[in-house]
Amino acid sequence: MQIKPGHQHPMTRMIAEINEIFSHIGYEFVEGPEAELEEYNFDRVNVPKDHPSRDMQDTFWFKNQDVSRPTLLRTHTSPVQARFMENNQPPIRIIVPGKVFRNEATDATHEAQFYQVEGLYVDEGVSLGHLKGVLEYFFSHFFSGKTEVRFRPSFFPFVEPGIEVDMKLLEGDSKLAGKWIEVMGAGMVHPNLLKVAGIDSEKYSGFAFGMGIDRLGVMKYGVEDVRDFYTGDLRFVNQF
Amino acid sequence: MKVVHSWLKEYVGEALPDAQGVEALLNFHAFEIDGVEVVEGETVLDVDVLPNRSSDCLCHRGIARELAANLDVPMTYDPLATTPNLPETDQIQVTIQNQEACPRFTASLLQGVTVADSPDWLQKRLRAIGQRPINNIVDATNYVMYAIGQPLHAYDADLFPKTDGAWEFVVRDAKAGETVSLLAEGGKTEERVVELTGEELLIVDGSSDTPIGLAGVKGGSYAGVHAGTKNIIVEAAHFHPTLTRQTARRLGIVIDASKRFENEPSRELPLYAQSEIIQLITDIAGGECAGVIDEYLEKVTNPTVVVTTKKTNSLLGLSLDAAKIAQLIARTGSKVTNDGETLSATGPFERTDLQIEEDFIEEVGRLYGLDKIESIVPEKTALPPVNARQYYTEQIRQTLLSLGFSEVITSSFQKKATVQLQNALASDKSYVRSSLAKNLHSVLDANISHVDLLGIKDVRVFEIGTVFSKSDTAITEHVSLGLGVRTKGNGFSAPDERILVDACEKIEDLLGLSLAWEKEKGVAELDLSTVLTQLATPNVYEPVSTQTPVQYTPVSPYPAISRDIALWVGESVDPKTVESVITAAAGPLLVRIDLFDEFSKDGRTSYGFRIVFQSFEKTLTDAQIAAVMQTVNAAVVQQEWKVR
Repeated sequence: MQIKPGHQHPMTRMIAEINEIFSHIGYEFVEGPEAELEEYNFDRVNVPKDHPSRDMQDTFWFKNQDVSRPTLLRTHTSPVQARFMENNQPPIRIIVPGKVFRNEATDATHEAQFYQVEGLYVDEGVSLGHLKGVLEYFFSHFFSGKTEVRFRPSFFPFVEPGIEVDMKLLEGDSKLAGKWIEVMGAGMVHPNLLKVAGIDSEKYSGFAFGMGIDRLGVMKYGVEDVRDFYTGDLRFVNQF
Repeated sequence: MKVVHSWLKEYVGEALPDAQGVEALLNFHAFEIDGVEVVEGETVLDVDVLPNRSSDCLCHRGIARELAANLDVPMTYDPLATTPNLPETDQIQVTIQNQEACPRFTASLLQGVTVADSPDWLQKRLRAIGQRPINNIVDATNYVMYAIGQPLHAYDADLFPKTDGAWEFVVRDAKAGETVSLLAEGGKTEERVVELTGEELLIVDGSSDTPIGLAGVKGGSYAGVHAGTKNIIVEAAHFHPTLTRQTARRLGIVIDASKRFENEPSRELPLYAQSEIIQLITDIAGGECAGVIDEYLEKVTNPTVVVTTKKTNSLLGLSLDAAKIAQLIARTGSKVTNDGETLSATGPFERTDLQIEEDFIEEVGRLYGLDKIESIVPEKTALPPVNARQYYTEQIRQTLLSLGFSEVITSSFQKKATVQLQNALASDKSYVRSSLAKNLHSVLDANISHVDLLGIKDVRVFEIGTVFSKSDTAITEHVSLGLGVRTKGNGFSAPDERILVDACEKIEDLLGLSLAWEKEKGVAELDLSTVLTQLATPNVYEPVSTQTPVQYTPVSPYPAISRDIALWVGESVDPKTVESVITAAAGPLLVRIDLFDEFSKDGRTSYGFRIVFQSFEKTLTDAQIAAVMQTVNAAVVQQEWKVR
């Protein structure tokens, strides 16, 4: 008897699509550990100890007696920026999809574990204009329709200037079409990150962005509760 | 940060747009607005001040400055415009023993005040931002904090003993085991007595060495202002942001004052605050100022930063000339000198965030308008190196999907495993998983009852995910591949093992390796990270298959019930026809119908259908389903088909 094929989880499917879209413009798929050192998760991405900016991300810590250096469940994929830049010189074009963790109460729009994709482009003369172009290219392919992007001021310790990104799908009859939707944070890589990694911040500049893939799934598939991604319930998975 | 529109207008003047205009301006040039409400006729905006601007914008003056900069108008009244010139007093002495923790401490003496309720306008403004008016003196200290961002504290001078004819304030480190009595928390009447570790900074009454305030964090009830108070001392100081933050977190006291101190407001502010409060108190409570003491041990000034047009345009993707950039920076209140291509900029004292060239470039971008940045379309480039883990996991996925396995992602947290977290979200999530097997067993248990609803014969699942273990000095992790099979509702059975073994073999065929699986009761697991080290480096990704757009439908929380029906129909009757007759008769509770049996004999055809019922509103009863099945049977009979 013919077996009915199984269903791929929408998260890994989205990651494969994101990778395909970015690989066409030269972005390499890079990874880093989920159990990350405090130093990479915070200090090397310009979030110093006891600084109020640490409040932006509530953290799960491993026990001190288990580790020689303070270790945590990474709160974002940004430490991979620091790890990659340490070992590579520009031009750098990477995406970093992966699981991240926040010690926060969960609800339909928040999970303590979720997926992010980080993007980083460092080269001579990289500007917010390049960022805008890359994001419009990405969203247009990911949501299968011409998409416009706009920037608003924001703050993230690892970038300066920092921006909030909204997108608007210009075509199609999707529920998303014609509306501005806040999708992610981004900005120009803070010179401190370049310096710490040994990259000449006078010669090179770069942009970085980070977005929740769960949120992309909410938008793309109409998933109403992000916790559904992690229940292992085939009544969810088998719809994809 | 809640701001009152009419209060902003006092600083910005008539150029200030209405609440909607303010919202649009701030949203696209400074901060997001979380909400707008009207309280007692006052329009109040809730501004989400960004962390880097919490040093100067957690107050009305800061937001007003931001609006004036964006509107490109001068402020009609700026409390920070003129350096205060206040009379000195030797009736108050200040001794700072820890200069790093407290680089500045000011105190003013006001005599002959009358404590009463604040005037209506002031009470109304405080209530509009969610503060409870207390009396004119306490309200004035709060008002000045919300006006310019500097916390203050008032004491009754007559309850404060003098030393050698002067009031003496000492700022010193706490001693371990020492206690300080703090003002009651919001809504409570009891004072809070806090025992100290010795890492805190205290404000102490020098006459008796009594702690009277936890510096930066919270004031005490010592020498508190009361209805009969006549003479007051008002304190305004600067405390180290990190120390304040550490103490506030440790004691769980995060109030408006500590929030401001921990964001490093300017050290210049305390004297401006004194100037403001002296004016306000003499206005609303009478009396006069006898003088101010200003102990300013370590001044910090903003750096002068070189801003080049080249870097500005190269980061922002704009093409502004030096004059335009200079003009935009100047709008923030910064001093700018223009030397052709190179500008030198110094932020105003309250902007402690303006430290490097990029900080000024951000100001240029915001004020000019980020919407003016044009997209640069990315170029197609050479394909990047292929990520072997992504490549091979996708291959494994496609193989397993073809064998009927569906992919799950389960929680990284477990009730019990080997690696425990220091701070768990809940007691059943205090460990991180060290294998996928336990979660996959749970997934099989949970899904086996849904096979009819899903139209599958058995449950086949897999997960590819990170698992954790411990070495002597670190947390280690690897990517694990887990497969699970369940064919029967009552648990593991022999057929599960056969399907599992076959799938494991197919993966070994795919990778060309013999693999070390750990198998237990229908679940097999493999350390994929180790396997990946033995595989060839791939050159190019397989294209991602196209997918018809999916729109997800939420799952009913109520159980599904299934019924089988088998019937004889004429040989020429197509199963789709039968299906549509049954579906129409069954009505909206039918969520799924699958043909599971079909054969022909003696010119007739027999079809067997499994029908699944489910409601979004309730658990269905057998009686309800029996009634629906009766309707289905009747419809079938009407077609002159025969139910077997």
